[in-house]
Amino acid sequence: MRNNRMFVFKAILWCVAGLAAAVAVLRFALGLGVATALSDTTPWGLWIGFDVMGGVALAAGGFVIAAAVHVFHRETFHAAARPAILTAFLGYGAVAVGLLFDLGLPWNIWHPMIFWNIHSPLFEVAWCVMLYLTVLALEVAPVILERTPFQKAYRFLSRLALPIMILGIMLSTLHQSSLGSLLLIMPFRIYPLWYTHLLPELFFISAICLGLNMVMFESSITSWLYRREPETKMLGGLAKLASAALAFYFVVRIADLAYQHKLGLIFAGTWEGNLFILEMLLSTVLPMVLYTLPAVRRSPTGLWLISMGSVLGFVLNRVNASGLSQVWATRSFYFPAWTEFAISLGIVSACGLIFFFIQEHFPVDPHGLNDIEEQRELADKSSPAFAPFTQVWLGEGWRKSARVYSMCFVVAMALGLTLAPKTEPAVTRKAERARGANVLRVGDGPRYVYFDHKRHQDEAGKEKSCGTCHHLHLAGDVGTPCSECHRRLFVPTNVFDHDRHVERAGGRESCAKCHGPGEPQALTVMKTCQDCHQKDMMAAGNTVVPAFKNPSAASYKDAMHKMCIPCHVTKAADPKVNLPNLGRCGACHDSGTQSEKAYKTEVPPGQEGIGRT
Amino acid sequence: MIQNPCILTDVTKCIGCEQCVAACKKINGLPAEDAPPRPGNSVDGLSADRWTTIIRRPDNHFVRKQCRHCAEPACVSVCPVGALQKTAEGPVIYDKSVCMGCRYCMMSCPYGIPHYEWNSAAPSVRKCIMCYGNMKSGKISEPACVTACPQKATLFGTRDAMLAEARKRLKAEPGKYVQTIWGEHEVGGTSVLLIADIPLEFLALNQGHPLGDTPLPERTWAALKPVPFEFVGMGLLMGGVYWIIERRKKLALEAGGAAAKDTRGEAGHEK
Repeated sequence: MRNNRMFVFKAILWCVAGLAAAVAVLRFALGLGVATALSDTTPWGLWIGFDVMGGVALAAGGFVIAAAVHVFHRETFHAAARPAILTAFLGYGAVAVGLLFDLGLPWNIWHPMIFWNIHSPLFEVAWCVMLYLTVLALEVAPVILERTPFQKAYRFLSRLALPIMILGIMLSTLHQSSLGSLLLIMPFRIYPLWYTHLLPELFFISAICLGLNMVMFESSITSWLYRREPETKMLGGLAKLASAALAFYFVVRIADLAYQHKLGLIFAGTWEGNLFILEMLLSTVLPMVLYTLPAVRRSPTGLWLISMGSVLGFVLNRVNASGLSQVWATRSFYFPAWTEFAISLGIVSACGLIFFFIQEHFPVDPHGLNDIEEQRELADKSSPAFAPFTQVWLGEGWRKSARVYSMCFVVAMALGLTLAPKTEPAVTRKAERARGANVLRVGDGPRYVYFDHKRHQDEAGKEKSCGTCHHLHLAGDVGTPCSECHRRLFVPTNVFDHDRHVERAGGRESCAKCHGPGEPQALTVMKTCQDCHQKDMMAAGNTVVPAFKNPSAASYKDAMHKMCIPCHVTKAADPKVNLPNLGRCGACHDSGTQSEKAYKTEVPPGQEGIGRT
Repeated sequence: MIQNPCILTDVTKCIGCEQCVAACKKINGLPAEDAPPRPGNSVDGLSADRWTTIIRRPDNHFVRKQCRHCAEPACVSVCPVGALQKTAEGPVIYDKSVCMGCRYCMMSCPYGIPHYEWNSAAPSVRKCIMCYGNMKSGKISEPACVTACPQKATLFGTRDAMLAEARKRLKAEPGKYVQTIWGEHEVGGTSVLLIADIPLEFLALNQGHPLGDTPLPERTWAALKPVPFEFVGMGLLMGGVYWIIERRKKLALEAGGAAAKDTRGEAGHEK
C-alpha cells in the first residue's frame, strides 16, 4: 500500500516550489522592487530574517549532534546523526540560495573570496557559509557513496570523518555567533531588549538549544510521515539535554538584561515587551520546564509539539532581532509581500523534497531504508493500470505520482506567473482637498503647502479668472477642486470610464461616435473630451491644459508643479514684483508658521481625516 | 583637492530653496523629477535619485540632509567586499563593480543615508559622495551644493576650519544657536557639520535619542577580533574531549571485559 500521507505532503511541496519558481522569474527579470515590499528604511526583510538568520539557526542540529555523537560518544543519538547532518547541509544550501534571491547583484556573490574586509561581520558570515557548506558536503558524501561502486572514495572520506566533523563544529561556532555580531553595529535600530554586547554569545547558545529541538522535531515528523515507531528513548535523552541547555540560555539572557537594568522593559506593556515574553515562553521557558517531566519525555506527541514550539520560538527570536524589534526605530511598518513568502516557502519545500529523495534512496537512516525500499519495490512492480469502464487508474506506480507532482508544479507556476505583480508598488496616498482653499496637507507630520486662494484670485483677475487654473467644472460646482481628478498624490489616476461611456452612448453600435468610422479603435484617433464636454470644462482659459486627450489625470504633485512653478518663476524674475524667492520650493512648501497655523485653525485636532476627497 | 574636506550647514540661514538639490542632481546626472516614493520610504526624504534634501521643520526651519562622511563610517566597516571606501582625503565613495548588493550598509547607517535602486534588475547603492570624482580631477573646487547655495547657508573647507567657523558663530550669538555642533563628536565625528537654533537629533534613526560618541565599528570589531582564537580554541577543545574519552575507553578495554562493560555504560549513560 502506498503511503498517502507522504504522497499528499510531497504534492503540496511541489505546488509551493512551482509558485516560487514563477516568482523567481519575476524577481530576476524585474528586480527586487517588484518582488518585495522592502524599502530604504527596511532594506532587510523576510529573506534575511527568516531564510538566512532562521535557516542557519535551524541547521544547528547538524553540529550539535555531530559533537554529541562523534566527540562526546553519546551513542544513543547515533540514529539522529545522519538525518541531522543532511538537514544541516540542505539548510545551508537553502541559505545560499536564499542569498542569491536577496542580493541585489547575485552574480557577484563570490566577491568575498577576493575582495576582503576583515572588519565586516558579513565577511565572516560569507566565509563560514562557503567553508561549512563544503565541510557538510564532505560529511554527507559517505552517505551517498556507501552503496555505490565508489568504495575507495567512501573509505577515504570515512577515515577523514572525525577531523571533518571537528572542523564543522569549529566553523559552526563562528558562524552561529557571527550572525549575532552582524547586529552589533546597529544599536540605534534594535530595541534595547534584544540589543546587547552578548548578542554573538546568545546566538551561539540559542543555536545549541535550537539544534537539539530541531533534531527532536525532525525525528518525530519523519517517523510520523513514514509511519514508523518513534525513537522515544533517544528523544527522551535529547529532551533532558535540551532542558539543561535551555536553562543555561535562560539564565544568561535574563542575567544580561538585569545587568543592563533592562528588566523593567519586559513588563512595560509595550508590544516589544509582549513580543519578548511570547518569544521567551515559546522558545525557552515552556520547553525548559516541560522537558523535565518524565511523562512528557515519554510522550512522542508531547515532544513533537513542544519541540516545534521551541523551534518556532527561536526562529521568532531571529526574526525579532533582525526585523521586528527595529520597527521601534524606523517607524516604518514592513510586511512581506506574498511573493517574498512564496520564495521563502519554496526554498524550504525544495529542501524538503531533496531531503525525502535522499532519505528514500540512500542509507541516511539504516532502519528506515529497508521499509522504504520494500515499499518502493512493491509499488514499482504494480505498474499502473487503466480501467476503461470506470475511467480511473488502478494500482499505483511511480509514473502516476511523478505525473501528479509535475502537474502540481506546472499549475502552481502558471498561477504564480499570472498573479505576481509586474510593476513596482508606489505610494497611492490620496490627495487632500485644499482646506478652506488656504492650505494643503501633503504627508504625515507637519508637511503643508501654503496656498492663499483669495490672493491668487485677486492677482489673476477676480471671478473671470477661474478658468486659468480650474479646467473642470462639474455640474452644480463653482470651480471643481483639483483633487476631484488628480486623486492621488504621486501616481496618475485613471479618470476615463470607458464602460460607462459605451453604456450611455448606446452600446456596441456607438463606437464610431468617438473613434470615427473605419478607423482603428485606439487612443490616438479619438475625439478629445472637450469635443463633447465643452460646457463642463473651462479649458479655454487654461494655458497649461489646452486640450483633454489623456484618459488619466497626472498625479496631484505633478499637476500642481506644472501649474504653479512656471508662473512663480516668471513672477520671481520680475523686478516690479520684488519677490526673488517666489520661484523656490520654500515659497509654498514652508511647513512653517503661516501654513501650519492656517491648517490648525481650519482643521481642529482630531478631524484631520474628515473631508478627504 | 584639500585634505579632510568638510561641509558646514547653518540651519538658521537656509531658506529651503532647494538649489543645492538641483545642483546635486545636475552634477551627478540624476533625473530632475523624483520617481513616486515606494511604500515605506519617507515621502520627501532622500532617494536613489536625490542625494541631498531639505527637511522642513515647523516654524520655517529648513534642515539639509546628506551623507555625513563619518570619520569612522559604519557602512565602510560592514561592507563585506569593500565596495564602500573611505578615501584618503575623507569622502566616502562607492564602487558598483565590487558591490554584491547585500544592503548591509543601509542597515548599519545611523542616519539612513544609503538608498537603493529598487526598480532596477542590477541595482546600486546611491548616496552623496561629496563630489569626490569632480573635486579630485580639479573640475570643481567645492561640492556643487555648496556653490549653488544663494544664502551661503552651507560652507566648505577643511574640517578644522569649519569647526572654528561653527564655534565662532555659536559664540557670537549664544542666544540664537543651540550650543552644539552636530557631527563634532557624534559616532566618532563626521565631515558634515550642522549648527542650528533647533535640536537636530531627528536626523538620526534613533528616534531623538543621542547616538553617543563611540564610533560604531568598534562595537563589531570587539566581537570580531577574538574570532581566530575562538576558532582554534573550539578545535582544541573538541579534539581534546575526543582524545580523553577515547583514551579512557581504551584503558578500560585493556583493564578487562568487566571494566569495559562499565565504561560502555558510562559512555552512554543517557539510556
